[in-house]
Amino acid sequence: MKFSYQPEKCIGCRLCELACSGHKEGQFNPSLARLQVISGYRSDKLVNEARLCDRCLKCVETCPTGAIQSGEQGLALDRDQCTNCGACVDVCPTGVLRADNEGFPLVCDGCQGSPRCVQWCPHGALTTGEVH
Amino acid sequence: MPGYQGKVLRVDLAAGASAVEKLNPDWADLFLGGKGLGIKYLYEELAPGTGALAPENKMVLTTGPFTGTVVPCSGKLSIVTKSPATGAILDCSIGGTAAVELKRAGYDAVIIEGRAAEPVYLLIEDSGVELRSAGEYRGLGCHATENKLKAVHGAECSVLTIGPAGENMVSFACISSELYRQAGRGGVGAVMGSKNLKAVVVKGTGGVFAADAAKLMDVAHDALKNDLLTDTNLWAFTDGTPMIVELSQTAGILPANNFQQGTFDEFAGIKSEALIALRTAKKGCTSCGLGCGNFVRAGRSAVEGPEYETLAIAGSNCGIGSLDAIVEFNRLCDDLGLDTISAGGVTAFVMELTEKGVHDFGLRFGDVEKYLQVPGLIAAGEGIGKELALGVRALSGIYGGQDCAMQVKGLEFPGYDPRGSWGMGLAYATAPRGACHMSAWPAADEAYGELDPFTTEGKAALVRDLQHYNAAKFSLVLCDFWALSFDVMAGMLTALLGREVTAGELELAGERIFNLARLFNIREGFSGQDDTLPPRIYSHPLPSGATAGKTMPEADFKNMLGEYYSLRGWDESGRPRPDKLIALGL
Repeated sequence: MKFSYQPEKCIGCRLCELACSGHKEGQFNPSLARLQVISGYRSDKLVNEARLCDRCLKCVETCPTGAIQSGEQGLALDRDQCTNCGACVDVCPTGVLRADNEGFPLVCDGCQGSPRCVQWCPHGALTTGEVH
Repeated sequence: MPGYQGKVLRVDLAAGASAVEKLNPDWADLFLGGKGLGIKYLYEELAPGTGALAPENKMVLTTGPFTGTVVPCSGKLSIVTKSPATGAILDCSIGGTAAVELKRAGYDAVIIEGRAAEPVYLLIEDSGVELRSAGEYRGLGCHATENKLKAVHGAECSVLTIGPAGENMVSFACISSELYRQAGRGGVGAVMGSKNLKAVVVKGTGGVFAADAAKLMDVAHDALKNDLLTDTNLWAFTDGTPMIVELSQTAGILPANNFQQGTFDEFAGIKSEALIALRTAKKGCTSCGLGCGNFVRAGRSAVEGPEYETLAIAGSNCGIGSLDAIVEFNRLCDDLGLDTISAGGVTAFVMELTEKGVHDFGLRFGDVEKYLQVPGLIAAGEGIGKELALGVRALSGIYGGQDCAMQVKGLEFPGYDPRGSWGMGLAYATAPRGACHMSAWPAADEAYGELDPFTTEGKAALVRDLQHYNAAKFSLVLCDFWALSFDVMAGMLTALLGREVTAGELELAGERIFNLARLFNIREGFSGQDDTLPPRIYSHPLPSGATAGKTMPEADFKNMLGEYYSLRGWDESGRPRPDKLIALGL
């Protein structure tokens, strides 16, 4: 599953990050979300940006132990195989992939086809699939 | 303790020290958080008669149980202190990101006391708390201060700052965050300035926990889709508060020329459609869901705003129909750290004094050039600004014009003329912080709704109920713009805390909080004598529109006030009776 982001529709509320962390980690903490939204004024302009997993699979290719697998809906981490080496985080081209406090990468599994970030986005800035 | 971090940070600016204390869980139960918890702390800790600008005054920053969770519209921070404008309790709320950062840093509240010897800013990064010199930021506007502090501490931190107006302790200086969000009223920025505290920078990396996160997500998502993102609330997204301009014009309660009129000939130039034409973006606070902020570009100015109160009080009420000019006035006030409502109110007042020949301030209604000089003069204390900085009540004490001094308890009027919304008059007279539209907003039901605006019937109960509703809502903390029921609040709080919370419990908490604010004011020497309105409202008929010929006669007002006291279980002097206090656990 791929996500699309339309910055002009984003109000910077970060409900996507709060919902993501709540669903995946059982706590509300944007630092543990599988996506990041940055919204702020720069030189009299509102700039909205999002980092989303675009399924480039560089993390999968780089992982030395094969701990990250790519499935139909998204990525999955085998915590028994993961050595917390951080190679996946380093190689992620968008910077969306971060590690949790123990060093495990917070890979996006697309909520198994029911992405909470998209469900919570109030004004349709975040959608699944391509935007035309 | 789900919903709460269980910790309160206490900062002593004089000693340069901080300590972490345990949150009193009974107070959290009884006063919820936000506004209520802040009032409770101040009531317990502030000695009666403390000067608002004395080092002994305290500023209490509070989050609520919903702060930092996925509950929509829960991103506002409460700031409670004693007001230098009124000498009464003052609670403000400010949007943006600060509340969530503070909660994620691990605190439910921060209590700031004392006065630093030199200008400082408070840096909170999770458990790391320190005071740093703010010498290089002294005299800078809110915008430059925030931008510079973010350059030092990272774009993801949140900054609460004052401008020169706060440093100079202007009685209506505000606190700013995210450039365009303010804790606006009552001089909360002056209190910060009196403490030599230029800014608070806060960054948190932790999480907020619910008793059952999945349950809370289910309940809150249902509320998001079926209760928040509905026609009832989406005006905040499509238009934002400027849509009220036309409603007020139609109802005849849009203040013009210092409340001499209830309609404004040039209203079309400042109504929502005109503003939307200049809009380049929409913005919300953390967890918002609505996104009321209109980022507009007009002339050489850009601002998130102007909100209705600014359009009305700093616009039509000053005889200003140029949206470009109001946007620039708004930008100046935001940057200098001035409340646009009181800045507009005092400007309109001296315009009338000038035109009536009472005293020549050199300011006349509609004079854009002079009008745009006012914020700078006030913030710097230069020329007429030195006197305007005192506010309407103090100025009327010097120059007269009490009849047209549009204030209650020292707080200038917001943008709803009570002559066309009689309940609003009662709300202004009885709000703990003075003429205030945030304690209750009956205008929605009477001026803009189905109820007869020109009667006292049913208004005492309406205002009382709205005051309880807002007190509870702003303690949880939820945004004003979500018109949710007590039942929806209770459903979300039940899931968050993991224990059954009823709508009735929340309504009772609202009443408890409102009464505690009243007790604070009584302790400071306020009484029923202060629950009053300017003579203009009683005796000067409005000239045009739906309110042509209307006043709110003083006898009607007094009757309504008496009924209100009685309904509240207060005596004739407006003092809560002992049995009421016992029933409320006070």
